[in-house]
Amino acid sequence: MGRFIIRRLIWTVFIVLLVSVLTFLIFFVLPSGDPALRFAGKQPTAELIAQARANLGLDKSLPEQYWLFLKHLVTGDEYGWPGLGYSFHTRDAVLPELINRARVTGSIIIGGAALWMLIGVPVGVISALKRRTIWDRGLMGVCLFFVSAPVFWLALLSLLIFWKKLHWLPGTGYVAFAESPGQWFAHLILPWCVLALLYAAIYARIVRANMIDVVSEDYIRTAYAKGLSPRRVVMHHELKPALAPVVALFATDLGALVGGTIVTETVFNMQGLGNWLLIAANNNDLPVTMAVTIVVAAAVSLLTLVADVLLAAIDPRVRLQ
Amino acid sequence: MASRRTHLALLGTVSLVGVLGIAACGGSDDSSSTNTGSDTTATDGGGGDVLAASDTGFSTGSPKAGGTYRIATPDLGFTGGFDPSAEYLGWAWGLQQQLLNRGLVGYRHIGGTAGTEPMPDLAESIPEPTEDGTVWTFKIKKGVKFSPPLNREVTTKDIVYAFERMATPSVGAQYPNYFTMIKGFKEMSDGKAKTISGIATPDDQTIVFTLTKATPDFPYRLAMPASAPIPPEVGKCHTKAGEYGRYQLGTGPYMIKGADKMNISSCDAQKPIPGFNPTDGITFVRNPNYDAATDSKEQREALPDVIDISVNTNEKDVFDKVQAGELEEAAGLSVPPEVARKYVGDDTLKDRFRSNPEDSTNYVTMNLAVAPFDDIHVRKALNYAVDKQAMQRAWGGKLYGDLTGHVIPPVLLDGDTSIDPYATENSAGDVEKAKEEMKQSAYDTNKDGICDAPQCKGIVYLNRNYGAYAKITPILTQNAAAIGLGLDVKELPTGPAYETLQTVKNQVPIATNARWGKDYPDATTFAVLFDGRNILPTGNTNYSLVGMTPEQAKKLGIAYPKTPIPSVDADIDKCNDTAGEDRIQCWKDFDTKLMTEVVPWVPYMNALHTNLLGPAVTKWEYDQDAGESALAHVAVDPSLQK
Repeated sequence: MGRFIIRRLIWTVFIVLLVSVLTFLIFFVLPSGDPALRFAGKQPTAELIAQARANLGLDKSLPEQYWLFLKHLVTGDEYGWPGLGYSFHTRDAVLPELINRARVTGSIIIGGAALWMLIGVPVGVISALKRRTIWDRGLMGVCLFFVSAPVFWLALLSLLIFWKKLHWLPGTGYVAFAESPGQWFAHLILPWCVLALLYAAIYARIVRANMIDVVSEDYIRTAYAKGLSPRRVVMHHELKPALAPVVALFATDLGALVGGTIVTETVFNMQGLGNWLLIAANNNDLPVTMAVTIVVAAAVSLLTLVADVLLAAIDPRVRLQ
Repeated sequence: MASRRTHLALLGTVSLVGVLGIAACGGSDDSSSTNTGSDTTATDGGGGDVLAASDTGFSTGSPKAGGTYRIATPDLGFTGGFDPSAEYLGWAWGLQQQLLNRGLVGYRHIGGTAGTEPMPDLAESIPEPTEDGTVWTFKIKKGVKFSPPLNREVTTKDIVYAFERMATPSVGAQYPNYFTMIKGFKEMSDGKAKTISGIATPDDQTIVFTLTKATPDFPYRLAMPASAPIPPEVGKCHTKAGEYGRYQLGTGPYMIKGADKMNISSCDAQKPIPGFNPTDGITFVRNPNYDAATDSKEQREALPDVIDISVNTNEKDVFDKVQAGELEEAAGLSVPPEVARKYVGDDTLKDRFRSNPEDSTNYVTMNLAVAPFDDIHVRKALNYAVDKQAMQRAWGGKLYGDLTGHVIPPVLLDGDTSIDPYATENSAGDVEKAKEEMKQSAYDTNKDGICDAPQCKGIVYLNRNYGAYAKITPILTQNAAAIGLGLDVKELPTGPAYETLQTVKNQVPIATNARWGKDYPDATTFAVLFDGRNILPTGNTNYSLVGMTPEQAKKLGIAYPKTPIPSVDADIDKCNDTAGEDRIQCWKDFDTKLMTEVVPWVPYMNALHTNLLGPAVTKWEYDQDAGESALAHVAVDPSLQK
């Protein structure tokens, strides 16, 4: 187990490096515009452009720029550790902003993920157990609706109903937990629900399908033949293997959402990582783009590692080597 | 770079996020609004009669001091970190001039031409220069202090320091080009001197500028925020481009919230002022050291206790909140057409929809060095062929822009709108007139009014790939096709579109990439676009290459056309050296010449800036200089806020 984890951590570092190299190359290879031109002002002169380039560190060769980025990442820079530089767009240090925004995104995805698992798994199990009944068809119909409904539409609809019309919940925006735990919770209910409904629907369909597969296995028939109660068979012999792939998927989804809640953050006016990545991409903001992609790559990689470990714990057929 | 409003963020997966834009002028990408002077009636793009509010301001008659004036924007969009030396976002200029930093010269911060007249701010008066126009001596007012924690009186040395920052390349100053005529300025920016020899401070209240040549619009240049005093005690700690923005201490009626708590005992002790976070917002609170007796109500009423600007990425949400009274205004966004129509159609609401000239021009630019636009008849023909009314509709209709037939916005020409050499009925374009013009072109080989030479096909047309720009593509393509010009459309996002157009080697034949706005209220800020001496290999803003010489073409690595490219450099110099009423006439003549003898553009619209005022707003003015709300003259009734 220990060796496995160490090996995977090394692999994670390699993945993060690879992602950073690719992001770096994409930034310069694709025609995204020269940031120096923007910073040279409305009426640039050759000197101003050269100065802007120097200010942004773009006057150095690509390998040198990348090497400096890596060096600062490992050793830190004037803004702290890890050194992520300062934003081309806001002229502000990336690290503190990354931490602030990670809190916002973390709040959204952790709450949303908890909710979708709490809804998705039971719904999938019920559907599988009540297969081909009105329960199954009704629940899967609802799932299909939420899988199909665009997130932005659900978000706007939820704001219209629960904020504008019913006044049950506060509107858009994020309130820090430290500022007011109650407001933090109230402002996150709708984003959590919107995010959860989509994923809960997907997960319910996956759990249902897995459960149906498992039910037809020989060892389930054996369990029933041995006289085990249906409850025990479901809980101990069907659910565990049915959930194993869900655990792996959950980890990957959670990691991807670190930078992927763009629509939710935009509609609910939450200044998280996804929203930040969008702004950075639109403004050729390399340091922010690099910082967020690295965080996302690391999150996906590490959460996949956690998933593998959990999978081994859940499913005795899986062995970590 | 584009207009004084450059467009930044956008997108939003769901087109919920609006755009901000700007460069040294304010404004939004999709801006809007009315006329100067008095109330006028306009018709929206859909055809109904609507009342467009005037620039005479809004007041319920009982504005009171106090309260919090709340604004939301999808992105602060600051281009230079809000550092007065480096910033060129027009909206940021407005905030700095009106709320934070008092310069030697300022404006009234109202709409119309009255809002573009310079007046003394920190200076006791605007002096007359010496007879040869090269020496300007200013006396500054006594009793003007920097906000806490500095608390000391402003001296002329603080102004010198601001200029020295502008001449320090690492600071990333955007407009040193406006001050290179100060003696010794260039020497310092070139690293040959440590100070600017042409600025002297005989005492703490006197500053003398010695120029290398007469510069009649010097007072306008001094109104730019970069020339306002900066305390060296704090500024010297932040010489990286844009960094000072989060540490700035000013002299205006407000300060950034938390500025008074900043520890300025050493550079290491200084931490960013908490009231300003570039991605969350900025909050201004009263500066306790501000003495209204040193200022004039004409320039700043400073009524709200707090001005709070927050970032809200959901455009719809912003305008819902403004209408509901949860916000007073939106910034960096144009009022959505459906909301505008609702307001202008309702007598109880119409005064709360405001629409004012941005002093910017939307245009189609043609490259004089590339066929077939190297032929003036082709350029003139396109001017006749373009359906400007359709272009206006693409931007939202009359509430969002006034049609135009020339380059320089009317406010800068004393309100003159008469220059329109290619006028057509209802500005809808006239294919017959266009064909008549085309017949005179060498590219129309059979003289039937249709461009039929091989160069008339596959002409690369560069545009942006979103919003009103994208709506313009089919209009221009169709209009051009009517006279035989086959456009090969290339649509790009803002950044790549700029870079492509501004790189001369790309030789983009035609583009509708941007709008241009004034830096300060003088036509010279438009003339720079046609100055052949300003042509650069990259970052070039003379997109038409007006005035390019064969030698320049060789250096740039491009072919010089067979037809010589006309130059207006001498006309620019002449106008720049002229003062008073003659100066305005000179710019009018320049504009006419540009449109008749050079024809680099198809100018089609002077953009209007729209604002929607929430129900709690009791007073509002438009700042003609910044092209944005005049926060120095707004008031709010807290009892009407939600």
